[in-house]
Amino acid sequence: MSAPAPLLINGVEIRDSFAEAFPMAGTRLIITADTPRWAHTAAASLTGFATSVIGCGCEAAIEREIPAAETPDGRPGYAVLIFAMSLKDLKKIVPLRAGQCVLTSPTSALYSGLEGGSAVPLGKALRYFGDGHQMSKNLGGSRIWRIPVMEGEFVCDEIVGSTTAAVGGGNFLILARSRPAALAAAEAAVAAMGQVRGAIMPFPGGVVRSGSKVGSKYAGLIASSNDAYCPTLRGIAKTALPAEVESVLEIVIDGLSEGEVADSMRAGITAVCGLGAAGGVVAVDAGNYGGNLGPFHFKLHQLMAQEAGR
Amino acid sequence: MNGIRLTLKAPLTARVDASNLLPAAFAGASAAEVAARTVPFGTGVALVGDLFEVAASEGDALVLSGDPRLDYVGAGLAAGEIRVEGSVGAAAGSGMSGGRLVISGDAGDGLAAGLTGGRIQVFGNAGKNVGGPRPGERQGMRGGVVSIAGRVGDGLGARLRGGLILVAGDAGAGAADGLLAGTLAVAGRLGPGAGRGMKRGSILVSSAPEALAPGFAEAGPQDFVALRLLARRVPELAALFGGELSGRAVRLVGNRLAGGEGEILVLS
Repeated sequence: MSAPAPLLINGVEIRDSFAEAFPMAGTRLIITADTPRWAHTAAASLTGFATSVIGCGCEAAIEREIPAAETPDGRPGYAVLIFAMSLKDLKKIVPLRAGQCVLTSPTSALYSGLEGGSAVPLGKALRYFGDGHQMSKNLGGSRIWRIPVMEGEFVCDEIVGSTTAAVGGGNFLILARSRPAALAAAEAAVAAMGQVRGAIMPFPGGVVRSGSKVGSKYAGLIASSNDAYCPTLRGIAKTALPAEVESVLEIVIDGLSEGEVADSMRAGITAVCGLGAAGGVVAVDAGNYGGNLGPFHFKLHQLMAQEAGR
Repeated sequence: MNGIRLTLKAPLTARVDASNLLPAAFAGASAAEVAARTVPFGTGVALVGDLFEVAASEGDALVLSGDPRLDYVGAGLAAGEIRVEGSVGAAAGSGMSGGRLVISGDAGDGLAAGLTGGRIQVFGNAGKNVGGPRPGERQGMRGGVVSIAGRVGDGLGARLRGGLILVAGDAGAGAADGLLAGTLAVAGRLGPGAGRGMKRGSILVSSAPEALAPGFAEAGPQDFVALRLLARRVPELAALFGGELSGRAVRLVGNRLAGGEGEILVLS
């Protein structure tokens, strides 16, 4: 019996692998400010140092820019998604970050972007900064808090909803002939994935260059460099890279649901394949732990079957 | 048949307590069964059928003929809709917790006393003590929305604890007496002596009040993001002031004589 033909899209091999992902708790916040610049500043600050729960306690990124006409207060805004390993962690990390990064940011306001699920405190926790001068308004079906600050007032919703159906750790790897080719493909993927609502890529610019494997030779390290995909270790470590691959970049995806992670992965891989072999892309692979750790398996061949015409 | 229409046979000759004329009380009842119910009338009682023509009507609402002697219309309403064609007497919507009460004419004193939920819309004027406490209670309205197209009498929002009262016309003297929380919005003139003993809550007005109760400190003008937010989340609030709130207002804080930190926002 012969092996099945490899799945090729525009000359890019889609490996018969899968991304292994995990359940997370997540929520969406909406940040507004007087100008797009300051709305972005607050959103970037809120989602800073939030690449991986391993070291940051949460994973977060800007989901999208929101036109002023669509925000709660009619000012320019950004939606951000934040994920943690448990609701308990989420309820701790969200008010902490909101207090340090949004309350402090000029002209900002902070609103709920997700209803339902367990309530995560926003103004409910931050109001105490007002030292007794804070005011609440319970109108239009929800409570807001007005906290006096030196600049004027900080306005925020009392709570934001959450979901425990979120999924973290969706991923795929771009195997390319050169570092510039890998970077160009990753940038194309991130741009396409940015159009998918409900999912984020929490690493810098949406891209990871230092994918990890579980464990280390050093006691106490729970993750270390994914040597099988390190091109400079070819020949001394078991490698997953063909000879023509000089550089690998990974994109990690968190989503409010399994479907949104799948949609985001599909959009990203499709964009990578759009550059094709001519763009220096050799293959698309995915990271997993053998399927024994995470309950969500995003199989690349299934994800891309339609695009491959199968 | 779901809806009931009660049409007065003649102007009332004595006051009627209409608190048991509720959609829920008539659910599943025939017109004849409704006509056989009784209502307090003067010092006695009267059959509904003696005072009203009872008929089925389209929709689920209870439709009532109005009369200034018809008191407690919609009192205790928890769900459903009551539409009044004309004016009503005292204590309309008293103690309502849900549903909708629409009055095409005027409302008497004590409108929305002790309201905890639901919506009341009055197309005419309203009397004294809108949204105040019910007899024997310490707090006034605690939730819900009351909208009055005309003017209101004295004592608007006394001891208000929550909810929103919108007045398109003028408000009489002594509004927000002892106001605890919640929001009053007056597009017309706010009468003298407003805000005595005010603890918290907000009063939104379109022009500087003539003579507030003593005890307010002016904090100056500010661009309030909260106003822009409320204008979008509560469109009827923006509509009351012409459809759009700029967010800019002068803030008066009080009543400091009572240790209060309520506010009067004079919109600009």
